[in-house]
Amino acid sequence: MTKNQWFKRLVAVMAIAMIAVACGDGSGSDTTLAEGSDTTAAPDTTAAAEPTTTAGSTETTAAAGEGFVIGYSNGGGVGNGFREEQVCTAKAEALASGQVTELNQIHRNTDAAGQLSDIRDLIAADVDAIVFNPNDPEALNPALEEAAAAGIPTVSVDAFVTHEGTYNLYNNQIEYARLGAEWLFEQMGGEGNVYYMRGFAGHPADTDRHTGFQQALENYPGITVIPSIDGEHTGWDPATTTQLINDWIASGQYGDTNGIWTSGMDSQVVDAIQQANLEFVPIVGADLGAYVAQLLDAEGFAGLEGSAVTNTAAVGGAGVNLALKLLNEETVETAADAAQPNTVLLDPVLADNVTDEGRATLESWQVDGLDPLWPLGLTIEGWTTYTPEQAVACLGPGE
Amino acid sequence: MSTTVDTADQSTARPIGALGSMIRRHGWTLGLVGILLVLLVVTRLIQPTYGAAGVQGLAVSVLPLAFAAVAQAIAVIARGIDLSVGSMMALTSVISAALMEERSEGFAVLVVIGVLLLGCVLGAVNGSLIVLTRVPDIVVTLAMLFVWAGCALLVLGTPGGGSAEWLRTLTGGSIVSAWIPRAALLLLVIVAAIWIPIRRSRLGLSLYAIGSDPLAAYRSGVSVTRTKIVAYTLTGLFSAFAGLTLTATTGIGTPVPGPYTLLSVAAVVLGGVSLAGGRGGVFGPIVAVVILSLLRTDMTFLNVNTNLATVAQGLILVGVVMVGSLLQLRKREP
Repeated sequence: MTKNQWFKRLVAVMAIAMIAVACGDGSGSDTTLAEGSDTTAAPDTTAAAEPTTTAGSTETTAAAGEGFVIGYSNGGGVGNGFREEQVCTAKAEALASGQVTELNQIHRNTDAAGQLSDIRDLIAADVDAIVFNPNDPEALNPALEEAAAAGIPTVSVDAFVTHEGTYNLYNNQIEYARLGAEWLFEQMGGEGNVYYMRGFAGHPADTDRHTGFQQALENYPGITVIPSIDGEHTGWDPATTTQLINDWIASGQYGDTNGIWTSGMDSQVVDAIQQANLEFVPIVGADLGAYVAQLLDAEGFAGLEGSAVTNTAAVGGAGVNLALKLLNEETVETAADAAQPNTVLLDPVLADNVTDEGRATLESWQVDGLDPLWPLGLTIEGWTTYTPEQAVACLGPGE
Repeated sequence: MSTTVDTADQSTARPIGALGSMIRRHGWTLGLVGILLVLLVVTRLIQPTYGAAGVQGLAVSVLPLAFAAVAQAIAVIARGIDLSVGSMMALTSVISAALMEERSEGFAVLVVIGVLLLGCVLGAVNGSLIVLTRVPDIVVTLAMLFVWAGCALLVLGTPGGGSAEWLRTLTGGSIVSAWIPRAALLLLVIVAAIWIPIRRSRLGLSLYAIGSDPLAAYRSGVSVTRTKIVAYTLTGLFSAFAGLTLTATTGIGTPVPGPYTLLSVAAVVLGGVSLAGGRGGVFGPIVAVVILSLLRTDMTFLNVNTNLATVAQGLILVGVVMVGSLLQLRKREP
């Protein structure tokens, strides 16, 4: 083989190798809100832990007051506003707590097997506690068991895992849907047709929200859900959402619609209705920057009546806070009625643009410099100690 | 035909003894093993507590991708490429998870056998389509990527199912010594038991022959179409092993394919398999997978930003391939 041929082959190999690694690990940043539901953060989300009181972990690897090393694993949604904000709040909490010397974070798109590997790496890295956003409720249990055996407390944020020793901290999605649905049904006077735009089929948050929506519906016999009680799934994808609402408008069914419930894909629906020059019907969405801006823009979106329900992404920061509580052997209040033991549920808050109080709340949620695709709620009372500015700065210890 | 069956640079090999010959033939793989050993030492220096538990975790982590790399290597050796490896893994994983959920441990044995046979069928379909339609491998397997991924979603709409306990035990923990992970042993035994006999048989020669030069192979009496179908069948079989290990290590089936296809191509390249076909083996890519995984672990130990770690991983991959190729080039010059 000639030298020239070898070089050609070499170049081809280099190109393929680069593409393979660049794409293969999936750290690409598609900026879509693919996980729209997980996509809201509430400014003043209430810390909703209730009844049962459980003692914090007694297995501490570093004495209270010393610097801890916290491991953080986020196994998906790189580029997604909710996930990015979640990681930044974790950094901010680690920094603001003054107790963390290092936040060792693995923030990448991967599958459950990949996250298993990441958590094992964090165990091998000898971190004091691990906070993670799980890719699956059960698949990570072997690694979590290994962490428990090594005396490392684990905290799952944004969704629960079924591992017994792990603490779960996430938004109460049943309450999220119920709050918004009740506001909407009231706004419609208790009767009429509601277009039901759900999230990602099969996602635990979507399933929980469906439960909450149905709970609200039971008290409003005059409300009819269209196209059916199963709703339409947006996949928490902006493009799919836009397609769905445009199809709905084009088919003429918008004329029979008296209200729209969305699972966090909201500003796209408002935009589509406005572009079609149609009158707005009451709408429920999440506390995403773009949607809240629409609600507050009385001139740009005349006649728009809507409410935003919080779904805080500050669970990242709250998870670090919880991990520190466990390391310091502090008492943690957990919810008695949650699906899993050791669970802290965060209750959502609703604000609308039809009352002065609601508008004032929406106004108060605004944070300077926040990415419009990020949820607005940056802090959680009782669970985060950083300032909103620290979250926006997105700097952890030592950075 | 003689020039078509080399795994390394047999054609230029000089008679310098069996050991020298072996080193020359497996130079790339041995080089990779050297890199891996150095990397293990570096890992220990970075993280002094890294020990048997870390090695066990590493072995479990690499298992699915290692099987995927073997699957890809066989397709590439036969001058093909299979972009549907990840989707076949997803499909076989969800089928096994769906069938094993809440069933007896004995029934799981039948499921494993059935899923491996299914893997062979999936691969054979890929191969048959390629030889029948004469559409390039990359196009057919790209199309089948969507077909198999869609089938996986039809089987399980969301992650779920279960895994037999014995299957989970088979891939976890260690055997004899804490430093010998069961997962590593399982991988080596399965790959060796299937690949070595094939490699030494007429079929193995045919695989390398059609990879090196299909026309020459055809003129030498090798059935190119049949060999290609067999190559893709083997790719399907190893993809099914990869899918089963996904189910075994996570305890569930995930219908959305993970990032395994492109990573398997990266491992094949780093593992010394020529993308032009006919050159390389399956053990190089396995070592490459371990190296890639250990690199990521080291980045975690060093708390390197994950995005930078990905860039660094890519650059290291390119660097190793480039240096290796230049060394081979120098060796070949008169």
